[in-house]
Amino acid sequence: MASAMLFAVRRLRRGWRSGELFILVLALAVAVAASAAVNLFTERVRSALDAQTGEALGGDVLYSARRPLPPSLSPSAQALGLRTTELVHFTSVVFHGDASQLASIKAVGAGYPLRGALRVSSEPFGPARAAAGVPARGEAWVDARLWQALRLFPGAMLKVGALELRVSAVIQAEPDRGNGFADLAPRLMMNGADVADSQLLGPGSRAQYSLLVAGDAPAVQAVLAQPVPDGVRRQTPREARPEIRNALSRAGQFLDIAIVAATLLAAAAVALSARQYGEKLRDEIALLKCLGARQGFLVRALLLQLVLLGAAAALAGAAVGYLAQAALARVLADLMQLELPPPPLKPLLAAAALGGLMLLGFAAPPMLDARRTLPLRVFQRDLAASPLSRSVWIAAFAAAAALLWLASADTRLVLIVLAGIGLSAVALALLAWLLVLALQPLRRRVGISWRFGLGNVARRRAASVAQVTALGLALLALLLVSVVREDLLRSWQRKLPADTPNQFLINIQTDQVQPLRAFFQQRGYPALELWPMARGRLVELNGTPVTADSFPDPETQRWINRDFNLSWSTTLNPDNRITQGQWWGEAGRGQPWLSADEYAIERLHLKLGDTLTLDFAGERVTLTVHNFRTVEWDSFRPNFFLLAPPGVVPETVPTQWLTSFYLPPGDRALLRELIDAFPNVTVLDIEAMMNQVRGIIDRIVTAVEFIFLFTLAAGVTVLLAAIEGTRAERIRETALLRTLGARAGLIARGLLAEYAVLGALAGFIAAIASQTVAWVLAAQVFGIAYGPRPHLWALGTLGGAVLVALLGGLSLRRVLHTPPRRVLQQI
Amino acid sequence: MNLISARGVGKDVMSGGQPLTILADVDLDVAAGESVAIVGASGSGKTTLLSLLAGLDLPSRGEIRLDGHDLSGLDEDARAELRAGRVGFVFQSFQLLSGFTALENVMLPAELAGYKDAPARAQAALERVGLGARLSHYPHQLSGGEQQRVAIARAFCAEPTVLFADEPTGNLDAATGARIIDLLFEMNAARGTTLVLVTHDAALASRCRRVLRLREGRIVHG
Repeated sequence: MASAMLFAVRRLRRGWRSGELFILVLALAVAVAASAAVNLFTERVRSALDAQTGEALGGDVLYSARRPLPPSLSPSAQALGLRTTELVHFTSVVFHGDASQLASIKAVGAGYPLRGALRVSSEPFGPARAAAGVPARGEAWVDARLWQALRLFPGAMLKVGALELRVSAVIQAEPDRGNGFADLAPRLMMNGADVADSQLLGPGSRAQYSLLVAGDAPAVQAVLAQPVPDGVRRQTPREARPEIRNALSRAGQFLDIAIVAATLLAAAAVALSARQYGEKLRDEIALLKCLGARQGFLVRALLLQLVLLGAAAALAGAAVGYLAQAALARVLADLMQLELPPPPLKPLLAAAALGGLMLLGFAAPPMLDARRTLPLRVFQRDLAASPLSRSVWIAAFAAAAALLWLASADTRLVLIVLAGIGLSAVALALLAWLLVLALQPLRRRVGISWRFGLGNVARRRAASVAQVTALGLALLALLLVSVVREDLLRSWQRKLPADTPNQFLINIQTDQVQPLRAFFQQRGYPALELWPMARGRLVELNGTPVTADSFPDPETQRWINRDFNLSWSTTLNPDNRITQGQWWGEAGRGQPWLSADEYAIERLHLKLGDTLTLDFAGERVTLTVHNFRTVEWDSFRPNFFLLAPPGVVPETVPTQWLTSFYLPPGDRALLRELIDAFPNVTVLDIEAMMNQVRGIIDRIVTAVEFIFLFTLAAGVTVLLAAIEGTRAERIRETALLRTLGARAGLIARGLLAEYAVLGALAGFIAAIASQTVAWVLAAQVFGIAYGPRPHLWALGTLGGAVLVALLGGLSLRRVLHTPPRRVLQQI
Repeated sequence: MNLISARGVGKDVMSGGQPLTILADVDLDVAAGESVAIVGASGSGKTTLLSLLAGLDLPSRGEIRLDGHDLSGLDEDARAELRAGRVGFVFQSFQLLSGFTALENVMLPAELAGYKDAPARAQAALERVGLGARLSHYPHQLSGGEQQRVAIARAFCAEPTVLFADEPTGNLDAATGARIIDLLFEMNAARGTTLVLVTHDAALASRCRRVLRLREGRIVHG
């Protein structure tokens, strides 16, 4: 073992010094680094975002119940090191002098909110500041609507039950408000310790008791592992903020592309360079066998080389990955206003395992195959060309499948990328063959340098085709990265243009629709689009009565327990897409049809043709599912799980309307006028939330672009490996040509011509392939429009020629300046 | 006692879809300590015979015994084990490992044979061939003659019982070649090693105790 180790170390030392192992280690390290960086960073961002989206709940976990929560709940969370605070929600009429208003009262404990910030001002729509704590005992904070409704002023006294409270601030932003568009009464916030004195909460009174919990991730995990007491509902931020989840999962898809492409490319580079290294080892193995080396020794020496190589690459890759994610975190965490948790160890181990798998699947088989070399090769070098055994290909195929399985959870995306790369490889090989043939007649019409270069391409036809294919795949990945970056990422960013609606108006009564339109028209705003909405309860599904208990799934139970918001229209919002069935249009008017969104389909296991009976305050309406829709919930326009044609819901059913519009930053005074004119209308200002989403998208785009650098690096390793493949032969030929009197300049021009032609061929084919893959990805995965980009073809061809000629020139630079005697002597 | 013996040895290969006989009915015995030159024109089968005698390949027919072992009865691994420590090689193209220093190249056979004192042996062998000052030089830093001296040091390092040499002077000029031959025979004589060498060089062949001439795969004189 000792001498096998010595041999392995000496051989690696030599391989490293000569550069023949550099590409192999580089490719492995790039793959490990890419995986480590992406997984470390996304893991940290994901948990940080979980914390940030905790703002939507005001904490990391929310327990709520219709009766006081079990007294043990808060202490048991605190025992885990978590912070807690208790809330009580109830509605009650609030008096100011003679004026009264039904208000949604929220009594908060010290420390509220545990996540996010409460923002207050001295008067409605005035400059906001972060609230210092919660309302003091005897004080009340109210929202603009309650302020308007009761004509309040700073220091005004309010009567809440038996309690007198002094108004001391106006609530501008409340992190955990606005889950859905329930017809919220105006808000009054008071200190939790005052609740008892109000004497409003007795047995049988309707109130919601909540406990907010927040803390570090392990403690939160621990509390989530505990059972939920009966009658208590537990929510986490994962169930909140679909628009941010959406952004994250979209980012996940982009990162998946980056990582899948980087992994496959690195695997190709590893396979190419391991095969080349294995070929070089054959002469030595033949000699070692002559000198008495046995299989055991050779296998040990080869395995040790692999282990040492793998360890070096994994360490280097993990270190680079770690630094890369740290750099990302440093640059982005500030921007993201995210407090990133420390990097977890698991992604690093997973990345090292990925490196090990690549080594086993792509590097080990061709290297170990070299041990089959016959000792007779010391006399007959051409014994070399024994084809690789079948096990090499099987191992590579199995490893590729395993790598993709590891790299991404999105099977469809992986299949598209894989099919794209596979088809491209076949197309590349075919086209390369034709183009190489087409070069033949060209040779007679060009100068000596080009003749030499083109001659090489045409003469080594099989090698040239293989090289163009490998180069093409690498260029394909590079182009794909640029396409995804430039077109797909940008069009995602553009999905939230500057004039995206940032205000929602809800609780609009039918007789207010026209005056409201006029209000906006007078102020020069674009025509408002208003959506009617009626609230019904699901009572029958396919004629069978249903209650919450008919469904085992708690989320469905909760949904059934709430009223369903049904809207109606003959036009489909642009952010809705029909996935099954047909949109009814004008023809639907009066038809008892229903359009269901994915959420409703999933919750109720709907099929087209199913019937739902909804009870609208005593009026029953039975609707047949006519089509399925997907909704882009991150579009910030009103959308509904259930839609019907107009004229289906009886006019006697109470109807409210809602709308959204874009309020330019300087126009905030309009809100006050609006509240004055329509006091019952609730304004939901989602500007802050939208900015957060927009910010998150921007940051994620930056992160994805950074990660694409690894894909680029992996692509370059394939280019290098492909160029390196014929280097030995070129060195020999160059020495021979120089011996025959060819000047270095002539040979250099010839070689550059050859590389340029190979690069141009590969680039041209890669451009076509990248367009096709991008088009499929855009349509199938991202749902983004994508048209052909002819300039990319020119870019691919020219870029391929320049890049390959440059890298090829660099790899042969030393050879051209070495005296031919030395070269010939070394061969 | 014969260290090497061949009986009825033949070797066929496929060439252009047709079987081609490279060696036919070769019978030969080499006694321990003897020196034998195999001569003949290019393509007469000299190197093939050498590789068969060294167990690098197996004959299509016949039997070869090396140090009492029937080579046909051994698999490739067992033949390698048989060579380790018993057989030395000197090649026309030196066959040094380019990434290994002179010392590392020379100690390789001794290491493979499991000698614990491989570095000391290698250093002694290099000193004997006059390269004691070039232990840590790499092959590309040595001249052709020096490289072949390293190869000779390597061949003798594990103190083999038999040394196979394939055109040992083929890549060297006359003067260097002559010095290499002197060194080879000198070390051979000092250790009583059996020597089988393949050469075109009549002068070199004449220094061996026996000369075998091959023509079209058959021994015509020996």
